[in-house]
Amino acid sequence: MPFQTHETSIFVYNSFMKTSISFFIAICAVSFLSAQTAGLPPLDKSPMDMSYYPYNYPVLRIQDKVTEPIAARVIYSRPQKAGRSVFGELVKFGEVWRLGANEATEIQFYKTIRIAGKKIPKGRYTLYAITHPDSWTIIINKDTDTWGAFKYSSKKDIIRTDVPVQKSDTVVESLSMTFEKTPAGCNLIVAWDNIKTALPINF
Amino acid sequence: MKIKSNLLIAILVLISSCNNKKNDKEAIDIKVNPKEDSLNSPKQESSNNAYAPIDISPMDMSYYPVDYPKLKMTGAIKIPPVARVIYSRPHLQGRRLFHDLLKYNEAWRLGANESTELQLYQNVSIQGKKIKAGRYVLYCIPQPDKWTIVLNNNIDSWGLQPDSTKDISRFDVLAKQNKSHLEYFTIVFEKIDTGAELVMAWDDWEARLPIQF
Repeated sequence: MPFQTHETSIFVYNSFMKTSISFFIAICAVSFLSAQTAGLPPLDKSPMDMSYYPYNYPVLRIQDKVTEPIAARVIYSRPQKAGRSVFGELVKFGEVWRLGANEATEIQFYKTIRIAGKKIPKGRYTLYAITHPDSWTIIINKDTDTWGAFKYSSKKDIIRTDVPVQKSDTVVESLSMTFEKTPAGCNLIVAWDNIKTALPINF
Repeated sequence: MKIKSNLLIAILVLISSCNNKKNDKEAIDIKVNPKEDSLNSPKQESSNNAYAPIDISPMDMSYYPVDYPKLKMTGAIKIPPVARVIYSRPHLQGRRLFHDLLKYNEAWRLGANESTELQLYQNVSIQGKKIKAGRYVLYCIPQPDKWTIVLNNNIDSWGLQPDSTKDISRFDVLAKQNKSHLEYFTIVFEKIDTGAELVMAWDDWEARLPIQF
């Protein structure tokens, strides 16, 4: 009996080793696959993305389904919640937040639009936000092609406008931006964790 | 031997599970070449994101001067950038570029998802031809020893089916193989005496388009 137990434990040990070695090799294979050659950039941890208004405009174009002219595009990087508490902790209330990661978040208007009654000429702008528990101040700033909010200067603001915060039961893992049609134009929707805001853009 | 076959199975299962996952964003109802649309990597966030699921081939951007936004942030540079490219980055997942993914003489979108975009902040010159500041779609027609790099003005489009009637210019550049193995498609700029090179690299292939300014 002791012998058999020993035999069994060796068997268990062996198959454990096999499994763990297989697993180890598989993990190595994956990390090998995702490794980039030195000198060229690896994949960003917070991947970049873009959203258009009209929603999915590039796809609509190749499907010949465009029904209204292009109005806006946002380019932003997408940090993940990764188990953290986002608003009030990771993103501090009352501080300028870059609404993204890495390169500054960029909003491009393809025609003159209005936000909170103010005319904004077509062009590229940087987006920031100051979060509060119940509202966000959305900032449109003309200093483009920069990094994060580290050199943010309110002198280059085009407009600041407050939008209410909507709380939701569903958690959005990655910072998300999209556009939704409204009677007066569109809303820029920003959602992350359990928070969602909508910035009305009129045109 | 048993261990070895176990390992092989584990790796194969892993790779094939990566291959089987489809990119929501790519699932559009035009005629999509499935091979082309599988130029993608595993999803990090499943479709539980109602606003915008994470793309399988994540987007990225490269500037010239290299790392321009960081230089601007630190105050190391005051002049405007010269160029920027915005592209999505498919990955190989065990496939080879010209064995499995691309065909010679067929348009390749130099990316994934939205059309790859080259933004020139100033007028430049490429192979003696003046190119005005502006935004262009970038795509490529690969041949065995050279790649034809196309600048096209059908901007804000999707990468599949580039509209060649809107081509601005075509430039042939040498394509060369080297020893590296690049998992993710990569575009960067590199400084040269007369301006910068747009470096396009994937698998063991590399092509460089010199831009003068």
